[in-house]
Amino acid sequence: MTFNDRIFGVLMIVLAVAYGWGATQFPESFGGSEAVGPSTFPFLLAAVLVLSSLYMIVRPDPDNAWPWSRTGIELIVAVVVLVLYAMLLQPLGFIISTSLAVGILCWRMGAVPIKAVVTGVSAAVVVFLLFNFALDLSLPMGLLEFLEVG
Amino acid sequence: METLGYLIDGFGVALAPHNLMFGLLGAFLGTLIGALPGLGPANGVAILIPLAFTLGLQPDTAMIMLTAVYAGAMYGGRISSILLNIPGDEPAMMTCLDGYPMAKKGKAAEALAISAVASFIGSLVATIGLILLAPLLADFALTFGPAEYFALFLLAFATLGGITGKNPMKTVVAAAIGLMIATVGIDSTGVQRYTFGVLELYEGVDFIIAIVGLFAISELLFFIENRAGGGGEKMAVNKLTISWKDIREILPSSFRGGVLGFVAGVLPGAGASLGSFIGYTLEKRVVGKKGYFGQGDPRGVAGPEAGNNGASSGALVPMLTLGVPGSGTTAVLLALLISLNITPGPLMFTQNADIVWGVIAALLIGNFLLLVLNIPLVGIFVKLLSVPPMYLLPIVTMIAFVGIYSISNTTFDLYFMVAFGVAGYVLRKLEIPLVPIILGLLLGPEMEKNLRHALDISDGDWSILWNSGLAIGLWVFAGIGLILPYIVGPILRRRMQSQLAQSGDTSND
Repeated sequence: MTFNDRIFGVLMIVLAVAYGWGATQFPESFGGSEAVGPSTFPFLLAAVLVLSSLYMIVRPDPDNAWPWSRTGIELIVAVVVLVLYAMLLQPLGFIISTSLAVGILCWRMGAVPIKAVVTGVSAAVVVFLLFNFALDLSLPMGLLEFLEVG
Repeated sequence: METLGYLIDGFGVALAPHNLMFGLLGAFLGTLIGALPGLGPANGVAILIPLAFTLGLQPDTAMIMLTAVYAGAMYGGRISSILLNIPGDEPAMMTCLDGYPMAKKGKAAEALAISAVASFIGSLVATIGLILLAPLLADFALTFGPAEYFALFLLAFATLGGITGKNPMKTVVAAAIGLMIATVGIDSTGVQRYTFGVLELYEGVDFIIAIVGLFAISELLFFIENRAGGGGEKMAVNKLTISWKDIREILPSSFRGGVLGFVAGVLPGAGASLGSFIGYTLEKRVVGKKGYFGQGDPRGVAGPEAGNNGASSGALVPMLTLGVPGSGTTAVLLALLISLNITPGPLMFTQNADIVWGVIAALLIGNFLLLVLNIPLVGIFVKLLSVPPMYLLPIVTMIAFVGIYSISNTTFDLYFMVAFGVAGYVLRKLEIPLVPIILGLLLGPEMEKNLRHALDISDGDWSILWNSGLAIGLWVFAGIGLILPYIVGPILRRRMQSQLAQSGDTSND
């Protein structure tokens, strides 16, 4: 099967065309037109990407299998965990959000739940103490703010 | 003799107590990173860059620490090759061939010690080569005009895949994507490009976020997909019994490997993997029938190990003198230089002489540290190696998060990093190399600047780009770099494969 490269090639050509069109919309720079304006380099890049993507469509490599089924779901879970981690880092604070994120990732990668929790919590606490006291950098406290000393 | 004076100054920088301390820390972390399968040197250095920033290190200290990480990672790659038959990074592949059979015969400790000595000699030879060659090349590079630089950047992209690369066109696709990302932001004339009115994009895409996302996050996703969380078999290391005679026997192999590796590292398009491959095949030729390669010949460990370490020091030559890295890891080191506001290239040798020579001296000192660190402490590394990835990778991911967060204290960067991670996963599935993307991000602004200068000089006449002999030479080499993989690539790859397959047969017997 050689769908991957072909589909990707088509997508890249679409991207290149959109990118090149975007370059035509740049306002003229001050002092009139120059030999190389803001859009010259983008035009070159768009042309190169179109040509190299065409090659991918004409001579595609064999496909690597995509992980449908359960592994695919695991991957989506991991990405969701990472996005939630980023989202909750400030509101929940570093220690709670990190314990949750590392714990869940360890568990989903095959660790026993108890060990996963222990790894998550200890990693979070150690890194937090290291950053806050040894390196003097503040990570967000979030919900645990009441613990803050002085 | 001027060089010697600079070098002595460099030692002054590198031996300052806190520089030495961070160098040691870097060497230790680097060995660890190199040893862990899947966590290659580029990846490891990338994760540690934000750390260097959050620590608020001086430019020279940061550079010394990460150079030590780089050197350490090259040492560390051999540990899992020998003990697990899994190369920690690609150049360590050839070390598996005789290293693993040695370990199976109960000589793991000897194999580790021999490879440490060989790594040391390889790096030492190549660092001396670096000291001799780099100033000459930097002087030569001062004659480059903007047109030559533009051609040089093209050469760097064209040869990045290496002559063993699979599909050079995919390198071109990747480079174009990277360069496109680099054009996001406000350009040098004040025009907004592709910012879509998003404030965070005005200053462009921070390449450190891109690097950490592309490497570290996509690595996590690959581990999850391969269900490799449990880790491999447990391994044991015997007590070391090695004599001077054993070491003396591998010395010639190490020197040969080191010299070859250095040459492979300096030349564009060759790289450490080819360095260790040539190192191995040369050893087989030179020793001939007397050897028992593939069945645990110490010289088969020493040759490629010296070759791969020599190549990694050699790869610093184009990075430091021309500002053009030839490999993923040197690209990441270049990222560090740029974010420290140091313009890499020939002028660095005069304007930032303390940093350049400090780094070179740190390489020499780091080598001694690594040798000392690696022989007695190998047990610790082996213990840490047996921590299964299911605990390790989430923690590494967390460190990446903390590092990126601490640069700007905004969550926007974290979303961006995760997005790059997912993109990196998809691109790796399509076998589109990530290093050209990163190089594109790094070199994009410089490349455009040189193009503008060249055309300003010629008043818009594009032929200036191939008007000098030097520029034509660079264009020709770039062309060869793209075409050669189609001709020589399949042959070389088949040879490397057959080497691996042969030794696979013998070790399964």
